[in-house]
Amino acid sequence: MTVAVSLSSFALGILFGSAGAAAKLSHSLILNGVAEVYTTVVRGVPELLVIYLLFFGGGGMAMALAGVFGYEGYIELNAFTIGVLAVGLISGAYSTEVIRGAVQAVPMGQIEAARACGMSRWLILRRILVPQTLRYALPGLGNVWQLTLKDTALISVTALAEIMRVAHVAAGSTRQPFLFYTTAAALYLVLTTVSTAAFERAERYASRGVRRA
Amino acid sequence: MHRHPPTNPNAPEAVVIEDLHKRFGELEVLKGVSLTAREGDVITLIGSSGSGKSTLLRCINMLEVPDEGRVVIGGEAIGLKKGRGGRTVPADVRQVDRIRTRLGMVFQNFNLWTHMTILENVIEAPVHVLGVSRAEAIDRARMLLDKVGILSKAESYPIQLSGGQQQRAAIARALAMQPKVMLFDEPTSALDPELVGEVLLVIRQLAEEGNTMILVTHEMGFAREVASEVVFLHQGRIEEQGPPDKVLVNPDSERVRQFLSRHLSGAA
Repeated sequence: MTVAVSLSSFALGILFGSAGAAAKLSHSLILNGVAEVYTTVVRGVPELLVIYLLFFGGGGMAMALAGVFGYEGYIELNAFTIGVLAVGLISGAYSTEVIRGAVQAVPMGQIEAARACGMSRWLILRRILVPQTLRYALPGLGNVWQLTLKDTALISVTALAEIMRVAHVAAGSTRQPFLFYTTAAALYLVLTTVSTAAFERAERYASRGVRRA
Repeated sequence: MHRHPPTNPNAPEAVVIEDLHKRFGELEVLKGVSLTAREGDVITLIGSSGSGKSTLLRCINMLEVPDEGRVVIGGEAIGLKKGRGGRTVPADVRQVDRIRTRLGMVFQNFNLWTHMTILENVIEAPVHVLGVSRAEAIDRARMLLDKVGILSKAESYPIQLSGGQQQRAAIARALAMQPKVMLFDEPTSALDPELVGEVLLVIRQLAEEGNTMILVTHEMGFAREVASEVVFLHQGRIEEQGPPDKVLVNPDSERVRQFLSRHLSGAA
């Protein structure tokens, strides 16, 4: 469950992050402003608070929104959706800054050469900008991934059965808290270690042509 | 010494520039420049830094969009319109993309894509922009890499090559699009002196094969050999233009004379 929440949140975070970075780099003052508020607020308040806000306020917000469209029934969002949304939102705020920095690190000449060949904006994005950005963004995104993984522990407050919640329940019912919490810690460590190795491989691939291949 | 034949006045017009103006903020870099390149012409743009020669070259393929004036490529005028804030923008970006496929550009800093091998660099635009089959693009790329003398580096990444080799790869990349006109923006200015020769050799060969080229350069001796016409820019205007043996040897303008005395001493 932890892995599922982490992966979904991280993916959502990348999505939010790309949108956020695009908004921050755009020439539109409105988009700049929206993205600025997003990263400032989400990074500026405790993560637990964001989760509480979405968990206790999310259902109400969804109902209000549905009301606008004429739906009057009761909506209850499940803990998984809320959890992914909350952690994804947090992860996205950090990813925004990582991706924005990475895009700016891509030398202008790389893009100019593509334009000079007659490549369309979409083609440049797909073939040149994203691969180049990835190289600069991966180390930072690896960091965000670890934070995301650990942030999932916070959504144990929503009773979602991820590692932290299970450990908590098991510790309570067996009265062996030390055993279960060390097990949980070991599990987190295994996950972070494995993923660090994966990120290192990805970084090596993305940096081909930079360090000697 | 080999000399490029003079402009053939009956050849079709490849590039026509009319009354081009370009401002960067307060600074007016081009103050009304007109220029025609006919097929087979090799035009070299010379002048001190800040004279506007690179900007002029970059206006031809719209890497810089001129504020006023017209650019006509192979008889097709590039549509421009006033955008937000009074800035001039291309009226149709797809037209610009299409015209750019007919203009090969070589940059001062090579600008090879660092995440691709040399071969991948050369086939990228033919495959993804022109829709050439991968096999055909690879065949052609190998032929071009052979022509510029770096076929053995096809599978290397740009960082593994010397500056001269990178620039030759960049020339092959531009040629792979089979452009009607080649634009060179100070192609040897970022190179160590001992690597300049190998790049000039390739460019000279292209000139002798009859390619239409517009070239910004500081290599006066080279300009004299390959150019059909030399254009001297000064503060955003054309100060003098004509055949190289006139402009580079016996110019009318005092400014050109001073420029040459600074640039020919020791260099050529």
